[in-house]
Amino acid sequence: MNLLGIWIASFLTLCIFSFLYKDNPFFRFAESLFAGVSLGYYIGQEADQTIRPNLIEPLRTNFAGNWDLLIPALIGVNLYTRYIPKANWWARWSLAIYVGYYVGVNMVQKLHGEVLPQMQSTVVPLSLSAGPMGLLNNLILIAGVLSVLIYFFFSLEHKGAVGLTSRVGIWFLMLGFGAAFGYTVMGRVSLLIGRLNYLITQWAMGTVDALGRLL
Amino acid sequence: MEWLNRLMALDRRWIFLLVAIGTALPIIFPIGFKVSVTPPAKALFDRIEQMGPDDVVLLSFDYGPSTAPENDPMADAVLRHCFSKRVKVVLLSLFPIGGVTMADQSLARVLRDFPDIRRGIDYAHLGYKSGSQATMKQMGEDIHRVFPTDRYGMALSEVPLLQRVRTYDDMKLVVSFATGIIGEWWANLINAQFHIPVAVGCTAVSAPKYYAYLQSGQMVGLLGGLKGASEYERLVIDRYPIVEAAYTRAGLYTAIKGMDAQTIIHTLILLFIIMANVAFFAGRGRAAQAKR
Amino acid sequence: MRFLRLQLPLLLTALAGLIPISAFFISENATRVVWMKDRLEKYMIIIASFAILLGVVNVVQSNIRKIERRQKGWPYGAFLLAGLLGMAFCGIMGAARIGPFQGIGYTPDGGRTPFQYGAEFMFSPLQATMFSLLAFFMASAAFRAFRARNVEATILLVAAGLVMLGRIPFGEMILGGHPFLARLTDWMMDWPNAAAQRGIMIGAALGAASLSLRVIVGIERSFLGVEKSE
Repeated sequence: MNLLGIWIASFLTLCIFSFLYKDNPFFRFAESLFAGVSLGYYIGQEADQTIRPNLIEPLRTNFAGNWDLLIPALIGVNLYTRYIPKANWWARWSLAIYVGYYVGVNMVQKLHGEVLPQMQSTVVPLSLSAGPMGLLNNLILIAGVLSVLIYFFFSLEHKGAVGLTSRVGIWFLMLGFGAAFGYTVMGRVSLLIGRLNYLITQWAMGTVDALGRLL
Repeated sequence: MEWLNRLMALDRRWIFLLVAIGTALPIIFPIGFKVSVTPPAKALFDRIEQMGPDDVVLLSFDYGPSTAPENDPMADAVLRHCFSKRVKVVLLSLFPIGGVTMADQSLARVLRDFPDIRRGIDYAHLGYKSGSQATMKQMGEDIHRVFPTDRYGMALSEVPLLQRVRTYDDMKLVVSFATGIIGEWWANLINAQFHIPVAVGCTAVSAPKYYAYLQSGQMVGLLGGLKGASEYERLVIDRYPIVEAAYTRAGLYTAIKGMDAQTIIHTLILLFIIMANVAFFAGRGRAAQAKR
Repeated sequence: MRFLRLQLPLLLTALAGLIPISAFFISENATRVVWMKDRLEKYMIIIASFAILLGVVNVVQSNIRKIERRQKGWPYGAFLLAGLLGMAFCGIMGAARIGPFQGIGYTPDGGRTPFQYGAEFMFSPLQATMFSLLAFFMASAAFRAFRARNVEATILLVAAGLVMLGRIPFGEMILGGHPFLARLTDWMMDWPNAAAQRGIMIGAALGAASLSLRVIVGIERSFLGVEKSE
């Protein structure tokens, strides 16, 4: 069963890779299957990992103590009324609660978890107490953060001192994007290494091993 | 320079073939390049190294099959490290697109090498939960309320390890293996509001932005992409030679092995960029000369 | 009617948004606010589960329509639905623990449930391979498009080249084993890169926080699908 599974996985892998030569029915078949299986995965996972333990089991085992769980169940099901033409505005109530909550969490998270700590760690001493290299690093940090923030301030025309500072900001941004590109190359290549490793070690070598054991 | 112009007009499928060969050859014929360790990976390793059998680490599998070649090796390495030290581990997943499957598979791979590690005592697997930030914040109040049962359907009150783990205060560290924004949430939401140390093993694509969190002290360690995973593997193997047998097993995909192919392809792409820019500047020079 | 269609949703948005914000600032002794926050968080876990599956209905509807009308490429719609229904069936039966479908992970004896089989040998390889195609296109793009046309592009290419060389063993090999390139890359990531990322992060976070405020106070309403006439 394991080897059969590996052959199925490898066949689907090669179907997708065939796109590199040109678009073809095998790729389109694998692409459609990918979309369908992914959505089916979501359904199975949510059913088993959240809906069953957090909703159905508490209601089934102790309805009196957990009847309030019917409220989120109703709110969740109400989301699907957007597909009923005459009643699609009912879904707005559920959407309002869902979006409202996450937007509230997000606001605090961004200010408390990003803006304040990042600004705090930008306030660094500009003295030789951290050594010459430390001073240079702190200068680069402050210059970089300030110039990038000034670049993003579009309410002021970028000319004169503001223009010069935002130019420095662009250079810092280019450096950051360059680093990001270098890492992106690493990331994408890693994914390919993983797939080719699977085809070579699990499929090709695995099949040879299995045939060897059979013979 | 005519050959350079012809090279620039090359059908891209030849480039694809070169990339495929450049990746496949080091897998078939391993080279064994040396792996050097960077401070962010060493910082995470040292933190877990200082822990003991009474300490609990939360491992959050926040990635899916799309980035498994990067995140799997780092997850396996950290899990092996924890099991080697008998540090207790709680696993969970918040990533809806395959996170729990990745956690299951990582555990299955690593447990092969640690037959005496006991479920419910040395580790607990909570499974997946939707809700993202709501789930993460609720875990700060009571994990048992968020996860009525573990991955295997057992009530959390019946899992020995989880009887003493109810909030982040009962854990020493969170390590998130992340592909997207969830790793950031551990740093800017949970570390910020609950003050538990956080480390992230991220994909290479997201690594640059995590340096800002590392620099501000919101994270205590960072494993960036396959390179970060290979560094952690190197640290674990050097400190615990007993796990080396696992890493040299034929057919097992590891980050150290993957770095061979990574090296070849990086060099290839750098050559592509250099050649393309030489052709570009040569073309510009000729155009300027023609103008004159 | 306008109250139910527009004003009530806006009110609910404001309430749902203000609860977590208030709970953050108010002391734990304000038990009513803390109770509301806890309850809302508990409910959100279930609501999020329903929300994630919202797109499935749309996909099923559009593919059924495609198959019924025999539109171009309709067999692929059939494959999509077959994959969806197959995995969903295994998942729901596994969640209900019916017959051979006992869960969605590994069985206690180390075997695979039908859902896990589909996840390991179809879902995972398809996901992984789709994304691995990017490596080829990126290599091709590097060859065709990345030119040092100006100062900014040159800085970008130099930084990229440094990271690509500094993060592989080859970077040390070409310098006879000296870790200069690796150390330079570390420094570049720790300081100039961190500065740039921090600037982006602060700017984006302020933007996101202000958008959140606009949604909570009802200025931003597009997420409700509000028509111009409303």
